[in-house]
Amino acid sequence: MSQQTSAVSGEDAATGGITKKGLSAGTVGLIGAVVIGISCIAPAYTLTAALGPTVSEVGFQVPAIILVGFIPMLLVAFGYRELNKAMPDSGTSFTWAARAFGPWVGWMAGWGLIAATILVLSNLAGIAVDFLFLLIDQIAGSPGTIAALAAEPGINVAVCLLFMLGATFVSYRDMQTTQKLQYVLVTFQVLVLLVFSIAAFVHVAGGTAFDASPIELSWFNPFAVGSVAAVVAGLSLSIFIFWGWDVTLTMNEETKDPERTPGRAATLTVVTIVVLYLLIALALLSFAGTGDGELGLGNPDIQDNVFFFLSGPILGPLAFLVSLAVLTSSASSLQSTFVGPARTLLAMGHYGALPKQFAAVSPRFFTPGFATVVAAVVASGFYAVMRFVSENVLWDTITALGMMICFYYGITAFACVWYFRKQWFDSVRSFLFTMLFPLVGGVILAVLFVITLRDSMAPDYGSGSNIAGVGLVFILGVTVILLGVAVMIWQAVKRPAFFRGETLSMDAPASLRRRPKNTTTGGGR
Amino acid sequence: MTVRIVVGYTATKAGRDAVAFASRLAAASAAELDIVLVLPAEGRSVITPPDAGYDRYLRDQADAWLAEAAARVPEGIAHREHARYADSFAEGLIDIAGELGAGLIVVGAADGSSRGRHRLGSTTTELLHSSDVPVVLVPRGARKVAPEVGISRLTVAVGLRPGAEALLDEAVALSTATGAPLRLLSLVTVDLPASVDTGVIRIAGAAHAEDVLAETRRALPAGVEAEAVTARGASIEEAVTHLDWQPGEVILVGSSRLAQPRRLFLGSTAAKMLHEIPVPMVVVPRTRTREEAGR
Repeated sequence: MSQQTSAVSGEDAATGGITKKGLSAGTVGLIGAVVIGISCIAPAYTLTAALGPTVSEVGFQVPAIILVGFIPMLLVAFGYRELNKAMPDSGTSFTWAARAFGPWVGWMAGWGLIAATILVLSNLAGIAVDFLFLLIDQIAGSPGTIAALAAEPGINVAVCLLFMLGATFVSYRDMQTTQKLQYVLVTFQVLVLLVFSIAAFVHVAGGTAFDASPIELSWFNPFAVGSVAAVVAGLSLSIFIFWGWDVTLTMNEETKDPERTPGRAATLTVVTIVVLYLLIALALLSFAGTGDGELGLGNPDIQDNVFFFLSGPILGPLAFLVSLAVLTSSASSLQSTFVGPARTLLAMGHYGALPKQFAAVSPRFFTPGFATVVAAVVASGFYAVMRFVSENVLWDTITALGMMICFYYGITAFACVWYFRKQWFDSVRSFLFTMLFPLVGGVILAVLFVITLRDSMAPDYGSGSNIAGVGLVFILGVTVILLGVAVMIWQAVKRPAFFRGETLSMDAPASLRRRPKNTTTGGGR
Repeated sequence: MTVRIVVGYTATKAGRDAVAFASRLAAASAAELDIVLVLPAEGRSVITPPDAGYDRYLRDQADAWLAEAAARVPEGIAHREHARYADSFAEGLIDIAGELGAGLIVVGAADGSSRGRHRLGSTTTELLHSSDVPVVLVPRGARKVAPEVGISRLTVAVGLRPGAEALLDEAVALSTATGAPLRLLSLVTVDLPASVDTGVIRIAGAAHAEDVLAETRRALPAGVEAEAVTARGASIEEAVTHLDWQPGEVILVGSSRLAQPRRLFLGSTAAKMLHEIPVPMVVVPRTRTREEAGR
């Protein structure tokens, strides 16, 4: 037996190329990284979901909020990158926070990540359902009748569950499209968004816009919003639109040139995304204004899914292109998003923070099978319940999502600061990237989280859904966090080893000239 | 030179079937096992962001699985384990078989097959259409055959089409290595529909079948024993069901003549036989490469 085991490990030495080859050093190039980045962010989906709620908070100042919202994300992403470099682990926030602050905080960070991704999964599927019906409607040429079916809760939930089932199947079996197809889809998405915004400007110039509003410089001025609460609400939404961008920055050893590719890819991705966002935001604002008329961006009836209502009036017969772009964008985002909670659940199972089944890898498809299915079931159940409880499910999930992102990104940022505490003053670089940037980012996110939580108690917050006079978003956020605490305590009773720090210990790499890799990587394994 | 057998392993029942049969074959023929677990290459991932942490986790898991597989190999059989990254299961196995100079690739039935049955999954099909070494398909449940059963008989589905020489060479080599007797099999379908263009086994009638068998026996090297049977039926499937199979039996079939030289291609007759046959099936490419032929 011992001879056999050594044969296994002996293999590594004999064919040392395997490890490196397998860990895909050099498989992702610049374009590949940008494509993955853009398809993770899914700009077509993100904008249709977030633009309306953001307008309802800050009016014409959406461009300003988009620009400002990018700052905390950038700062936190720097922290992400440092942590990922020091401890690449599929548990990401969970593992990092546990290493920095211990098992309890780590557990809650993992919970926050899972909750946020489950929220976005249900929202993604919801948006996809709307656009599927709209697309059929547009192709069949039956104005409104088929698209209206999407509003029937029963049909909506049934189709949404089918979508989730499909996405689970695809994720479980790790079915990937070809690289070429993915490039085509991402290019298509970007082109459609460009055409969409140009068409809106043409309408504005030709005087056929719904509520032509000339672009003003004040749209870029966050101080023109007027109220701090509105800015905060807008920011917590715009956090969501950049969520996912950090994957380009954290792809290190996976890229062909780890020194340069991640930075360039992240820059290229974010420039593309910001330009797209600003263009669309400006185009739609000047086309439709912020009034609450039929097509006005201030109309609560269209705010949770603005492309759904505006693509027809702006593009006419070509509107189906927008539906197609949002559908494909949601579909690939659905798949890339599924990976997040599944991998975190897997890591939590592995370290004994959750039952062992979560650590199971499918022997045929090499995916975190059990965790994927659990994430899908919870997301489906959540969507089905919310569809009946909330007047405006998509809107409320997006707002709650922004809050959850602030929660776990914030913890992650602080984890970076605390984990590297002995290395802050090693160099200017480490002072900036392990201390100052993530600290500022974390503080901004923490403030956003607290203020959003407080404001969302008001019954008229966001979409105005409320239960017994308390805002639904607040109930959602608090329920999710308290549920996390409850499950955590339950797990702590059942599985005390993790909570005593036996499987994943706290650590702080010492101040050294050489990289902290040797002292940290794989420490918990 | 010792023959090396590549086992395409997954931590499933199919994988355990493959290891069990390959061990039995290796024990009988003094061959060595190379148990290979093929992991998906990251390069194929274009939607899901790559994650080095997860890759490492998978790698550890693969090693654990391989250790489990190794533990199932009976004492006395030399074996090595490999984790391999490739775009597909088939590609990984064919590549490593080429690198190691392996003489056989052994794989289990696809999931969902019932006990004692073959089932071709998409990965096995790909393997059967592209391998340049003989591929052994192991039916579900092969792991329940006791190792002592060994290899008791080799049935060779004979035809006179190109490819038959390679098939016979392989059969004789296996027979010599394992000491198992040969049984030459000719399938006769009473009603030959026009569409049955067999390729693997071409039979135009009972008389022809007898000729084929007689000729094949003459072609065998001296000292190799072989009995000959002719199976008759309205269809290939029916003809096959009338045959008796020993628990330690193995059947060898040639590749379709549609195949590229030195490549496998499972013909329609062999595919039909596969539905009915409860024993492992070796599919042999049309022509052998020179160094293998000289073995």
